[in-house]
Amino acid sequence: MTAYGFDWAAVVRGLPYLLEGAGLTVVISSIAMVLAVLLGLALAAIAQAPGHLARRLVAAYVEAFRNTPLLIQIFIVYFGLPQLGLKLSPFLSGLAALVLYAAAYNTEIFRAGMEAVPQGQFEAARSAGLGELQILRYVIVPQAVRISFPALGNNLVSLVKNSSLVSTIGMVELMFVANDISFNNFRTFEIYGAAAVIYVVIVLTLTRLLRAAEGRLLRAPA
Amino acid sequence: MSLIRRSILAALATALIATLTAPAGAQSTLETVRKRGKLIAGVKTDFPPFGTVDAAGRNVGFDVDVAHRFARALFNDENQVELVAVTSGNRIPFLQSSKIDVIIATVTITDERRQVVEFSDPYFMSGSLILVPKASAVKSLDDLGGKTVAVIQGAIQDKDVEQLQPNANRLKFGKVSEAVLALKGGRADAYVHDDIVILSLARENADLKAVGKTFVPRPYGIAVRKGDTEFINWVNAELRRMHTDGTYERLWKKYFADVEQFLLRP
Repeated sequence: MTAYGFDWAAVVRGLPYLLEGAGLTVVISSIAMVLAVLLGLALAAIAQAPGHLARRLVAAYVEAFRNTPLLIQIFIVYFGLPQLGLKLSPFLSGLAALVLYAAAYNTEIFRAGMEAVPQGQFEAARSAGLGELQILRYVIVPQAVRISFPALGNNLVSLVKNSSLVSTIGMVELMFVANDISFNNFRTFEIYGAAAVIYVVIVLTLTRLLRAAEGRLLRAPA
Repeated sequence: MSLIRRSILAALATALIATLTAPAGAQSTLETVRKRGKLIAGVKTDFPPFGTVDAAGRNVGFDVDVAHRFARALFNDENQVELVAVTSGNRIPFLQSSKIDVIIATVTITDERRQVVEFSDPYFMSGSLILVPKASAVKSLDDLGGKTVAVIQGAIQDKDVEQLQPNANRLKFGKVSEAVLALKGGRADAYVHDDIVILSLARENADLKAVGKTFVPRPYGIAVRKGDTEFINWVNAELRRMHTDGTYERLWKKYFADVEQFLLRP
């Protein structure tokens, strides 16, 4: 029953492997982020279409993916879909689940942003002779994105951290590597601690980038 | 602002260091267990026939019976044991962080693990076997070059396959059930694990079969925290009693009778 003796050399030994895992975390999160933003924006715009159908379909998608654990979605895509004949690679399985999950939140974030654009803007745009798509493209979306930005940033940070769940389907990202190392050298505190620090670095970099992007958005003319 | 932040950080760091450097427990595990009135044992839930969960949600298996036997020896009541589900990956961290008192969960005794836990005398001999789909042409490790081989993260086969068949592409999962799903879904060409679990899985799944000759046999041991000689001596004495009073033989017949010819006696 001795005190836990730290072995920081274990971190040094594991660092190249941890960074390799961090690389995949960055890659899968980045791709998922871009796709989830585009999908969320598209679905929020579709939900603005006249009539109930589009809005209901988008709402059904949002509720389905927002109200179930991401881990279940990952398992359904990776283990479940092959039984129905659709076998995506582990990378695509993880990516698809991350995108669908994050995009559900993004849809709500953008929808709220669009609905926050004052009604007068629509009327002004219409009386200026713009068509519906032009209104969306030049008037509504630019303003909605600015309004949505802080909430969007939070969701993208969650996305990076949630990407750790794809470790369960054998994707060799940061969490997987941390498990892999600590399951063999049993330096749990040091290795998970190091992985946590790497996550912090990734997320801080992301939030810096988001802040810079937000600054540019706010400066840009409408 | 920065002064406040710095003093908060300093306070947090001090608290953290104090927590980490405090002795894990002044009294021995055996004493703690007796005072608590129940044993907390880490067992598998995905590893037939050593540790699984039956249709009613009860833990069953060889290791589970050993845990109950320990409870009976300690408290005269075999139900005074709390069974905690562990995996190959998390069982040793669970023990180290005192979430459990003892690991009775198919731990293969290796030199690396000896550095961090105290092992009992061997209670089972296990080698490794290969599980493949019925139609597979794979017959041995030699056929696995270039193939995708499922292994469990933290299990010895991860290293064994790396050494014995470096050309195999290892796909690692946290649980046995996930590796089996991967095999059935065609995500892996083979799954390598302890002979006993592979034989059980082959028997339970008509679409899978066990192939190969048992390789790298090694013993299983029960594990307690490093340096806890009092508790490990107690475990060893109880294991010896299980042999002399016939309990071990009864459990062997109960769980291994139908695959007995493939197994090595410890």
